[in-house]
Amino acid sequence: MDKFRDCGDIKKDLRYLYTVQFWVFLVSRNANRGERKSRERERGAMAEDLVLDTAIRDWVLIPLSVVMVLIGVLRYFVSKLMRSAQIPDAKLVKEGQVIVRARNLRAAANFIPPKSFRARRLYYSNEENGLLYVPKGQAPNAQAQMFSDPNMAMDMMKKNLSMIIPQTLTFAWVNFFFSGFVAAKIPFPLTQRFRAMLQNGIDLSTVDVSYVSSRSWYFLNLFGLRGLFSIILGEENATDDTQRMMQMTGFGFDPTKSLGAEKDGLDIVQHDWTMPKFERRAEAVLRKLVR
Amino acid sequence: MVTKSEEDQLNRLEAQVDNAGGGAWEYLCLVRKLKVRRPDKVLKHGLAILNDSKKRSALGTEEWTLCEQVAVAAMDCQSLDVAKDCIKVLRKRFPDSKRVGRLEGMLLEAKGLWAEAEKAYSSFLEDNPFDQVIHKRRVALAKAQGNITTAIECLNKYLDTFMADHDAWRELAEIYISLQMYKQAAFCYEELILSQPTNPLHHLAYADVLYTIGGLENLQAAKKYYASTINLTGGKNRRALFGVCLCTSAIGQLSKGRNKEDKDSPELQLLAVAALEKDYKQRAPGKLPLLTSALKSLRVSS
Repeated sequence: MDKFRDCGDIKKDLRYLYTVQFWVFLVSRNANRGERKSRERERGAMAEDLVLDTAIRDWVLIPLSVVMVLIGVLRYFVSKLMRSAQIPDAKLVKEGQVIVRARNLRAAANFIPPKSFRARRLYYSNEENGLLYVPKGQAPNAQAQMFSDPNMAMDMMKKNLSMIIPQTLTFAWVNFFFSGFVAAKIPFPLTQRFRAMLQNGIDLSTVDVSYVSSRSWYFLNLFGLRGLFSIILGEENATDDTQRMMQMTGFGFDPTKSLGAEKDGLDIVQHDWTMPKFERRAEAVLRKLVR
Repeated sequence: MVTKSEEDQLNRLEAQVDNAGGGAWEYLCLVRKLKVRRPDKVLKHGLAILNDSKKRSALGTEEWTLCEQVAVAAMDCQSLDVAKDCIKVLRKRFPDSKRVGRLEGMLLEAKGLWAEAEKAYSSFLEDNPFDQVIHKRRVALAKAQGNITTAIECLNKYLDTFMADHDAWRELAEIYISLQMYKQAAFCYEELILSQPTNPLHHLAYADVLYTIGGLENLQAAKKYYASTINLTGGKNRRALFGVCLCTSAIGQLSKGRNKEDKDSPELQLLAVAALEKDYKQRAPGKLPLLTSALKSLRVSS
């Protein structure tokens, strides 16, 4: 359904853009300050415990989280603006609805008389023209279709871009400004294998692996802010990167496979008409009522 | 389906607004959310808000949704001038909107200009063949013109693609019943039961249809579905109680010659009768003798 849009939305987006830029400027100015302070402390205390400057928390950890939240919100609005009206494919829509209907049949099969259930099951899984029956040749079409259909390819590329570019930019920015010092201490001990991943800006090999650089804080935020976004932006938001990544590997909505799965499920169902049981239960209900 | 608490809230707000106690905007929002049909009240209070420029500016962007709601309510109450004004305002604000186009189509329908409305809807469907609301408006158009067969055709074609839409199945079932095509209506009600198995209304309607078709098997099935309705409503549905009594007596009549294989049917009927008598005693004691005599005539034949 198209929504009534007006310029207010674009103004909101511009406002967020300026806020982000302001923060970037402010934080990068102070990041260097924090970097210098922690280096001094580290040289002094090579022993077990490193005392980290509170300036790091104020000027590195918190601004980084705030910037990521703002960038996420900005991406959400940009993706809403850029989303072209998708013309749904006729076959896809119909298959989606068929699946819902078949699933309802499976779930509530015991509520309808056995004859009608059997008639419906035949209707769905009939060999020649059943709704759920997919001839073998058509099954691998989905992938080829994805690549050949220009609209779908453009859509996927747009979605990918909106996800990859901000991630890359933020990562590069973090690396440039916030590297070379210890940012935080992870509260549980880690093995040496994590050193390469979490401590890559710190060139001292004797520092405990629990002391990590800001890169790990960036990754922590990347995965952790998903919950926050679903509260602020509502359920459907474009910042759900991890979910989208999982979806991409499964090549998204593959109707033919789910149709086959539904058909198998339907074949398995044993019909057990619950109506006679209901008669007895109704008696009990009435007996209680009358008493 | 509207839950009991929502219904209570709606009635409370309605009473409050009718007595000029404010809260008109909440009432209108609730009506819109629950999709209930209260055209006269919506028209009265909505127009009051729209005509008062202070309240109107307080709404901000919601003003346009209110305008749409008032336009539809005006068409329902046949005050077409109000509707035309609202739609003109909306069209000025959103010149290219399909939603406003839909409202204009509905206005043509309300005026009785069927051909123009049909043309408008077909052009919308050409642009977007998957607009569910426009499809349903076409069915409503055919039904209003009295072309029930066209309505059935359109609805069947719609359900071919969008088969998970239970409102459409219900509409189709009612149309079939009006044409006395009971077997098809039974099929539709089965679809409804499949999609919402815990809704007692569907069970009740299905039982009614089965009872009307007749035949021993159908009567037994109908009795079972009346029983399930009683189960789902906790015995409060009087129609189901009556249905049980009628079914039992009809089954008894049909199977008079054969051996009585029914397991414990007399109990159910007796219990239903007792429940009905208790209910009538509580609510309408004057009609109790009527009830007893009617039920006695049923029991005699069983």
